[in-house]
Amino acid sequence: MAKQAPGVRIDGLTVVYKTPAGELPAVRDVSMELAAGTITGIVGESGSGKSTLAFSLLNAVQPPGRISAGSVEIDDLGNVVSFQGEQLRKARGAHIGYVFQAAQNSLNPLKTVGKQLLDLGRSHGVEDLRGLVREAKELLGRMGLDGARVLDSHQHELSGGMRQRVGIMLALVLNAHLVVLDEPTTALDMITQATILRIIREVHAERGLTTMIITHDIGVVAEVADRLAVMYGGRIVEQGPTREVLADPQHPYTRGLIRAIPRLTGDINQAQALPGRPPTLTTVPKEGCVFRERCSLRMDVCDTVDPEAIPHGDRIIACHAVKVKEHA
Amino acid sequence: MTVIARRLAGHLARGFVMILVVATISFFIVNNIPGDPVAARYEKLVEGGMSPEAAMQATKVMYGFLPSGSMGEQYVDYMSGLLRFDLGVSVTRPGTPVLDVLTDAAKWTVLPVLLGTLLSFLVGVILGVYAAIKRTGKLGDALAISGSLLHGIPQYVLAMLLVVIFATLIPILPHDGPVDILFEPGFNAGYLGSLAEHAVLPVATYALSAYGGWILAMKSSVVTVLGDDFILAAELRGMKRSIIFRYIARNAILPLFTILALSLGLLLGGAVFIEKIFNYPGLGLLLIDSITLRDYALMGGAFLLITVSVIVANIVADLFYTVIDPRVRSGEEAS
Repeated sequence: MAKQAPGVRIDGLTVVYKTPAGELPAVRDVSMELAAGTITGIVGESGSGKSTLAFSLLNAVQPPGRISAGSVEIDDLGNVVSFQGEQLRKARGAHIGYVFQAAQNSLNPLKTVGKQLLDLGRSHGVEDLRGLVREAKELLGRMGLDGARVLDSHQHELSGGMRQRVGIMLALVLNAHLVVLDEPTTALDMITQATILRIIREVHAERGLTTMIITHDIGVVAEVADRLAVMYGGRIVEQGPTREVLADPQHPYTRGLIRAIPRLTGDINQAQALPGRPPTLTTVPKEGCVFRERCSLRMDVCDTVDPEAIPHGDRIIACHAVKVKEHA
Repeated sequence: MTVIARRLAGHLARGFVMILVVATISFFIVNNIPGDPVAARYEKLVEGGMSPEAAMQATKVMYGFLPSGSMGEQYVDYMSGLLRFDLGVSVTRPGTPVLDVLTDAAKWTVLPVLLGTLLSFLVGVILGVYAAIKRTGKLGDALAISGSLLHGIPQYVLAMLLVVIFATLIPILPHDGPVDILFEPGFNAGYLGSLAEHAVLPVATYALSAYGGWILAMKSSVVTVLGDDFILAAELRGMKRSIIFRYIARNAILPLFTILALSLGLLLGGAVFIEKIFNYPGLGLLLIDSITLRDYALMGGAFLLITVSVIVANIVADLFYTVIDPRVRSGEEAS
């Protein structure tokens, strides 16, 4: 199989969660493209649906959730939403790597990293297990760790930063070229954060990957991502090249987010918190714009009509106010 | 390996001190229980119409000795005897060393309880995994309910129920005594077969009464592990189901070994009701009898035996953990 960075097209993806109040959408009608070989950052507050979107890339939305509509087309692989059973299992790990938060214990506490690596190899029918170990050591060495020592360690013997690098190694060791990182720097100290981000960038370039990074930290995205998608209430409200979006945010939510970041210099009061609270699964509006409750540009149409995601040059924005401005 | 050796040495030292303390306490308690078998015998004879002198004489002949000397002297004598594994001589069975009485009774307790415990552990743990995985389905419900139900029924009710069903209504199993006296004790088919046949109901009672606890404990343990991140991580890495199942089982069973070790430690205490109902001359019955008859030496010996077995079980459990749980091995707390 041709192993190179795959492009990914997410189209009309909707994920619903079963609740006592019926099935509620956590991700609603999301369409986006991960261009081959790029890093895409997904930014959003807790409950915005960004992790659910990440799970969807592996068709791994956990019950009581399910993908109710849409597709995730991955080059050389197909529409993973239609995958089932063994086909899905083999796609995970071998084609799509998933990296957990460092604070999450993504390793079996009773087995050494090396033994779990062998379990992974056996699961995917790797015949050359020595080669796999060699590859793992190389990857770990590449990330500044002593491979032999790490493979011989248990999870509790590793620091947060080391665990994160082990997670990245396990996501890449089977030669996956699409990698999803869920909050890769959360719960790490600043120095380790910087190291991990540098590693992500370098490994991404060296191995030719297509990478998706989920984060609530705009700083992380600014640092590594080529493209940026902002999620709110299960919708992507704005997406585009990172630099453009950060320099000239169009959607009122993106603007609010960026305005809320405190600067290193100047008055701390320049940072303005966005008023109100993000919606939860049950409070997200059923019709109209999901952001209108907190929006300063709210109009009558926002109450009834869900704004469509409309391309504006390199950017895709879902906002009635922006549309009005463009047409004016 | 040195870690294990060091741990073992520490445990043995602590265990020894604990045994000493318990021996001391039980010695003084037992000696201060009101009532005295020798005096009781004496009074019984007097009541029966014997003259006081004759009664004193008869009692002396019967027991071979009259307790004499101060408490301190008795204590030193008892403890130095302990160091030589000499637990003294039974008061109610003149001339029989306590150790012999205990080992004789132990064989009727250890095997059935051990068998019952291990059987229920095995079945309970395996079904517990299914109860956890199928917890939203009918099978899971049924298993959990069976666990709660059996856990809630007192042992003696269960024992009598089994007797009623399998010995009275459908008389296919014996329920009286550990073996048929027709057979010559020894390694012959008849004797062993009779032993096994007699053991069925007691073992089944032990197993059924313990099974509920195991299945419920394993179920909740598995449910906890299922929610752990590393299981989801293994799934997202495309690990095989069989491997993930092993990850779950091994992590979930860990906390159960503590309970298993403790219940094995307590097994020498015997199960009084079950031994009574099935007429098994085990340690539980022996202990109760020795208390009713104020057999100091036997009481002290039985208490000590139970203490020692609990301590030993704890040591074994801890050493076992150092083997199976790497977090314990390195002496660090898992984060």
